[in-house]
Amino acid sequence: MIQFFLAATLGVLFSIGTYLVLRRDVVRVVWGISIISQSANVYLVTMGGFDGLAPILSGHGASGPAPSDPIVQALVLTAIVIGFGTTALALVLTYRVYEEHGTIDMYELGGSR
Amino acid sequence: MSTLVIAPLLVALVTAILTLLTRPSDILQRTVSLLGGVAYLVAVAALFDAVVLPLGGESTTLVYQVSNWAAPFGITLVADALSVFMLALTGFVSLLTLGYSVASVGAFGQRLSYHTLFHFMVVGVTGSFLTGDIFNLFVWFEVMLMSSYILVLFYSGREHTRAALNYVVLNLIGSAVMLVAIGGLYSTTGTLNMADIARRLAEPAAYDIALLPTLGLSAVLFSVFALKAGLAPFQFWVPAAYRAAPSPVTAMLAGVVKKVGVYAIVRLYFTIFAAASIDIGFLGITGDSFLGFFGPVMFAMAAVSIVLGGIGAVGRDDVDGILAYSSISQVGFIVLPLAVAATAPSEAVRALGVTAALVYAFNHGIAKSLLFLASGTLKDAVGSDRLSDLGGLADRAPVLAAGFLLGALTLIGVPPLSGFFGKYLVFQAAAEAFAAGAAGAGLALAVALAGAILTIAYYTRAWNAVFWGRPSDLVDAALPERWTVGSGDVAMTDGGDDGLKRLELTAQVTVVVALAVAAIGFGIGFEALFGAADAAARAALDTNGYVDAVMHGPGVGLESGGGGH
Repeated sequence: MIQFFLAATLGVLFSIGTYLVLRRDVVRVVWGISIISQSANVYLVTMGGFDGLAPILSGHGASGPAPSDPIVQALVLTAIVIGFGTTALALVLTYRVYEEHGTIDMYELGGSR
Repeated sequence: MSTLVIAPLLVALVTAILTLLTRPSDILQRTVSLLGGVAYLVAVAALFDAVVLPLGGESTTLVYQVSNWAAPFGITLVADALSVFMLALTGFVSLLTLGYSVASVGAFGQRLSYHTLFHFMVVGVTGSFLTGDIFNLFVWFEVMLMSSYILVLFYSGREHTRAALNYVVLNLIGSAVMLVAIGGLYSTTGTLNMADIARRLAEPAAYDIALLPTLGLSAVLFSVFALKAGLAPFQFWVPAAYRAAPSPVTAMLAGVVKKVGVYAIVRLYFTIFAAASIDIGFLGITGDSFLGFFGPVMFAMAAVSIVLGGIGAVGRDDVDGILAYSSISQVGFIVLPLAVAATAPSEAVRALGVTAALVYAFNHGIAKSLLFLASGTLKDAVGSDRLSDLGGLADRAPVLAAGFLLGALTLIGVPPLSGFFGKYLVFQAAAEAFAAGAAGAGLALAVALAGAILTIAYYTRAWNAVFWGRPSDLVDAALPERWTVGSGDVAMTDGGDDGLKRLELTAQVTVVVALAVAAIGFGIGFEALFGAADAAARAALDTNGYVDAVMHGPGVGLESGGGGH
């Protein structure tokens, strides 16, 4: 059951992210990227499965199913830190674009030559 | 012995940190940075010597297990002939580019962050080439990209912020997609270690692996590498980003960072995913392995890149634009033999195709960084790189003109320059596949021919407009008389100390000349380059050797983990 719920959640999150990335407003684009990278993290966690016990309990006498995979959590921690840094950079860059161009509207920024 | 594997990584990392600590003194910081570049090249040379030229004669594979955690569980660094081949290119180009940077980037910029970012970018590139773990590949990509974001943005003017915004947004989406693909691959194969993935894909039933989803996820991953390599249809970020970045950074981006995408394609699709055998039969593509699927895909992308980049370059009216579009076209030339290799009817043709791609990548790394640096010197000396503003520079700056000409001729493929052999091998691979009756090989030959003609067209156009003819007003104002090393007065467009400016320009031209000499040297001594590329191609195609070295090599204490996930 939880798998279907998470699959639906991921679908919604990715579509919201994609929608925002395609907006004209640069701040929304940054939000969109942020949401997409967070959904990638959620996706990673779901890849580890949910049926197991917390790994630390299984080593200390608790009875129950086999522990669920802890690697994905470690991966997600790494990805969150990287995502934090890049989101901060993207926001600073947005401000810098505003300073240089006086607008953060993608259409007014125009394409590259 | 195996600790040598992390030497280049540590050298670059320590240099990056030292350049941060030595910021109070300009001279000290630049010295440390340059020495770090030299030390990096030495470390790479030592590793090259240990891997490609060991005492026995055959190339070997060195494996370093971080903290001695055995292969599928710990983090693995692998240096085989393919990795050190790419590292050698990185060491060579990055040292010369660094020398150029010292003479071209403003003093404030250098003090602020330039050297640190440059070395962190080298750290990321090195890590990507050495890692044996697919998630670590993602992390090293991020290290490399984070530095490159700021380096593209370095001048932070109007054009620069806009180009950097596109570059950053696109690559952040690419990173998220890469993360999704890696997560999916972990879920289907149950491991992140590349060698372990190859081992499990070889016997999918034993590890309960569904191959079709794995193929789909590897295709998602492929799009990310194509984005990094600037392959059509993911090429659109290239011209703006290359224009915006300082010329030495562009030289690194085009010469080295792009090759990380190419390396990842060779490593993952020819070494790792090639282990699986699967019957494919959809969308008109048939085959018995992952490569059977990726062959046509690579061919389509390479062909479109070659034609699109070539036509784009012919239509540009500034030197940097021509070089950027040329870069798209040339990456197509690197991937075209890979496509031929993927669908090759025999092992010999497959090895030849990969060798051709690697030789071409090496030549492109040298020639394109040469051309971008020459264009940078042009902008520094004259103040513009628009074709309409330039002319007659062959008369006013003959040494620079000679360097540019050699770079262009290398990419066109004129013997005895090294580029001739690159192009020759691309044609040979396609021709041998054609002779062996491979489907589509004739088309590959036709595309390569069209691309070669376009290359001649756009470089001839650039050469005619910039270096031949009468000096334009702008050139006359900047270089009133012939400027050669150590002579004449140079009226500089941007004021400042003329003596110092002349010294800087001389240093820049020296780097350009050094790269031109390298292009000639690798052409005359092509035997050595071919030997290294051939060893690299054989290492890339030797899946079992790679798996054995990582999983059962010396220093691997634990037996590999159990099946399933």
